[in-house]
Parts: sequence; C-alpha cells; structure tokens
Amino acid sequence: MIESAIYGLTIGAILYFVSIGLSITFGTMRIINFAHGMVYALGVYFFITFLPRVGGNFVISALLAIAAAIPVGYAIERFVIRRLYGESLDYAIIATYALLLIGTDAIKWIWGTVPQQVTEPIGISFRFFGGGFPLYRVVISLSALVLFLGLNLFFRKTVIGRIVIAALDDSEGVQCLGLDVNKYFSIVFVLGSCLAVLGGILYAPISAADPYMGHDILLIAFAVVIVGGMGNLTGTFISALALGLVIAITGRYWSEAADTMVFAVMAIVLIYKSYKA
Amino acid sequence: MLDVKEIDAAYGRAKVLHDVSLNVNRGEMVFIVGRNGAGKTTLLKTISGLMKPAKGYVSFEGRDTRGLTAVKLARLGMRYVAQDKKVFGNLTVRSNIELAAYASGVAMPSAIERVTSIYPDISKFMDRKAGGLSGGQREILLIGRAMVGSPRLLLIDEPTEGLAAIVIEDIMRILTRMKEGSEVSAIIVEQNLSVVNRLADRIYIMKEGKMIREIADKAQMTDTSEMENYL
Repeated sequence: MIESAIYGLTIGAILYFVSIGLSITFGTMRIINFAHGMVYALGVYFFITFLPRVGGNFVISALLAIAAAIPVGYAIERFVIRRLYGESLDYAIIATYALLLIGTDAIKWIWGTVPQQVTEPIGISFRFFGGGFPLYRVVISLSALVLFLGLNLFFRKTVIGRIVIAALDDSEGVQCLGLDVNKYFSIVFVLGSCLAVLGGILYAPISAADPYMGHDILLIAFAVVIVGGMGNLTGTFISALALGLVIAITGRYWSEAADTMVFAVMAIVLIYKSYKA
Repeated sequence: MLDVKEIDAAYGRAKVLHDVSLNVNRGEMVFIVGRNGAGKTTLLKTISGLMKPAKGYVSFEGRDTRGLTAVKLARLGMRYVAQDKKVFGNLTVRSNIELAAYASGVAMPSAIERVTSIYPDISKFMDRKAGGLSGGQREILLIGRAMVGSPRLLLIDEPTEGLAAIVIEDIMRILTRMKEGSEVSAIIVEQNLSVVNRLADRIYIMKEGKMIREIADKAQMTDTSEMENYL
C-alpha cells in the first residue's frame, strides 16, 4: 500500500506539472488547449535527442529541451491560440486538436514509432516499511511540492503573477485598467508549456517516450483541471495528487480500471458541483 | 470630449444598439437611464472598446477610436467600471490598487493616497481580500481603482445597484466630490432616479437599443415622472 501511495504521489506530481499550464490557460483565456499534449511529447523527444549529445547529463539535456520547447509554445500561443480568444470553444478544440495530431505525426516521422526508454537518472533505492522505493520518485513528488510553493510565490508576490490572478477573476477588468492581458497570457502560456515539458521529461524514465504519450496524459490532465477547478492553482495541485493516488491504488487492485476510475471521480465531482450550484 | 455617432452594436446576429448617438463635454456628468435590456451596458462596452460597433464611430478627445482596443483607450484616459461589483476578488485591496498604479505608471503611495482621498475608510481594508468586501465597499474600490492615474472619462455601470441606502449615500458623496472637482467627465448608467436627478448635468433615456430622449433642462431633470415611464 505504501508503495502504491508513493507511486501515486509520483504520478500526481507529473500530472500537476502537466495540468497547471492547462488550468491557467483555461482560467485566463477560456481556451481548451489540446496542443499542450503535443508540446509535452515534443519536449520529451527533444530531451532524448539532446541526452547523448551532452554526455548523458540529465539536467543539462532537460534544460536544453525546455529551451527548445519555448519557441514552440510561443508560436502556438501567438499564431493559433491568440486568434481564438473570445471565439467559441469548438474552434479552440478543433484547432488545438489538429496541432496535437500534426505534432504526433511529426514525432513519428522524425523519431519513429518505436517507444524509447530513458534511464532513471538517480538509480538509488531506499528501504521503507520493508519495501524498496526508488529515490527518483520521491524527488519527483518533492519537486511538485517545490513547484507548487514556487508558483504560489510567483503569483502572489510578483506583479505579473498578480495580473494573471486578477485576469482569472476578471479579464475585462484588467484590460480596462490599461493592462494588455495578452502579453501576460503569452508569458504564462509559455511557462505552462515549459512545465509540461519538464513533467514529460521527469516521467520518461518511469514509463517510456512514444509518439502518443501526449494523447495519453492529456485526458487525465483535463480531468485534474476539472476536478481541481479551472484556473484554481491550489485546487489543481490537490486534484493532481488525489487523482495520482486514485490511479495508483486502483491500479494495484484492478489495473484495467485505473484510468477509468479517474473519470468516475471527475463525474462525481461534476455532479456534486452541479448539485451544490 | 466624447462623441458617439450613430453606432450599431450586436452580439452575433442579435442587434442590440440601433443608431445610438450621444456626446459628453469636459467635466460633465451624463446619466443614461432605461429598463434592463435597453442596451445601456452594451453602449458603455462599445464606448470602452470591449465591443466593436457594427456601424458608426466613437470619437474620444478628437480621436476616432475605431481600431483601438480597450487597453489602448484605458491608457488614453478612458476607464470602464463594470456592473456586478467585479473586483479582483483573490487579491487584496492593496493589490487591486497596485495593479491600477502599475498600469498607469503611478507610484503606489500616490495611488493609495488617491483612493483614500476618495474614501478614507478604505485604508481599514487594505490587506483584506477584495472578494470578502461588501457590495458597497467593492463598488467604492472599483471607482477608486479607476481614478488612479487621473483618467479623463469614467464609464460607470449601475454603481448603486443592489446597495443599501446608507452605502448609496457614500457613493453619492464620492460622485459629488468628483463632479465638484470637474476633473473628470463621466457617463453613468443608473436606475436610481434620486441619484440621477441630484448629480446629472444631462440625462439620456434609452429604450430597446435606441436613444429616445435627451434631457438637458434642470427643471425637467428634477421631475422624474417622465423617466419613471422608461424604467
């Protein structure tokens, strides 16, 4: 059970990295962004490409992959998402899903369809309550906590963060003060893309990189955002960890239902929210 | 300072404003009255740049505003205070003012001084979350926030809606001080006729998306019976 809990917190941490960008994007711009999955997968493939070229240095390769993903995230926001502000959600879904499909095919074309393994960078396990636990997973869980605290500091203590928090409440109100929300949305969008790439890189040694990895995680990440509340930063953190635990604990006893249970929880939360409203 | 010329505006295919014209002179406080659904809010949103007119144009300080966004118009000195008392609820009152100061390039102490000069009691709530304020306090914060950086024109939508009489008096005092200073012009959408006839320099009446009457005569303004027909 403790093993499942630690695994669940690891999955939850990865989900948090991927979901936080989605949550902010929806909360501020009211855009459902399927292209987030494309950036997530592309970043991992950048990482795999850089890794042998930097002597297998995990951190440097990760930083290079994140840097390479920045122009991709910026281009998506600047040339696709920005044209969809204020439009019907359908347009955003179609346009960003098309980007996800294009990105997936590009990955298959450039890197092939065979899943690629990534070696776990720490390679140390420790014993706890009679079980063996990879230190790497604990590091991932702690890094999510550090990110959560860091993002809270960013959003509460910096002017850019406060503008984004304000725009989550009332985007028009921010514009009517003379603040160009699009500029700040771009910054936050790229930040969200970078965090998704980081999440993908951290997850690669646990699973493997394959062209469809963006599709697989995206639906669960949407469930995290819906359960946590769109644009709710603390809610997204709690929801990610909770659904990570749901996946791990369900997977231990009934592996076929692990992902399904996430959507069952999402349905219960939605029913509860509509009942409460 | 503001000329609205024969504008139409629509939400999708639903046309809401039909050939609406009005003007505001420097230092003037103009009120718009009319029933719910008359198009008053749509008019303010169109003037503020949040909506684009389908026909006609708005001229602000002699400049055609077609093609200017709400952000650019705010930077030129036009501030829209929306209805529903929508403050930045997850930020403190201080942070709400800070964003206005940042947007206007005003130092924070001056911004705080500006807002407290309008309503001294707000200094008691500076570190409270704005979302926890009462409706009246939120409205005062919105007006105060909009006043940071010396705007030229305020567009205020239903400032007294849903407020208790004692709070309406506070808002009246703020608007009266603003009017006496003649430092800023304002278009105020309001359904409370006692507020309207105490403060208005001119009144426009809207009905079903059209501007049907302008009242500039003081005697006619104090007689609210005609306006009541349109509420």
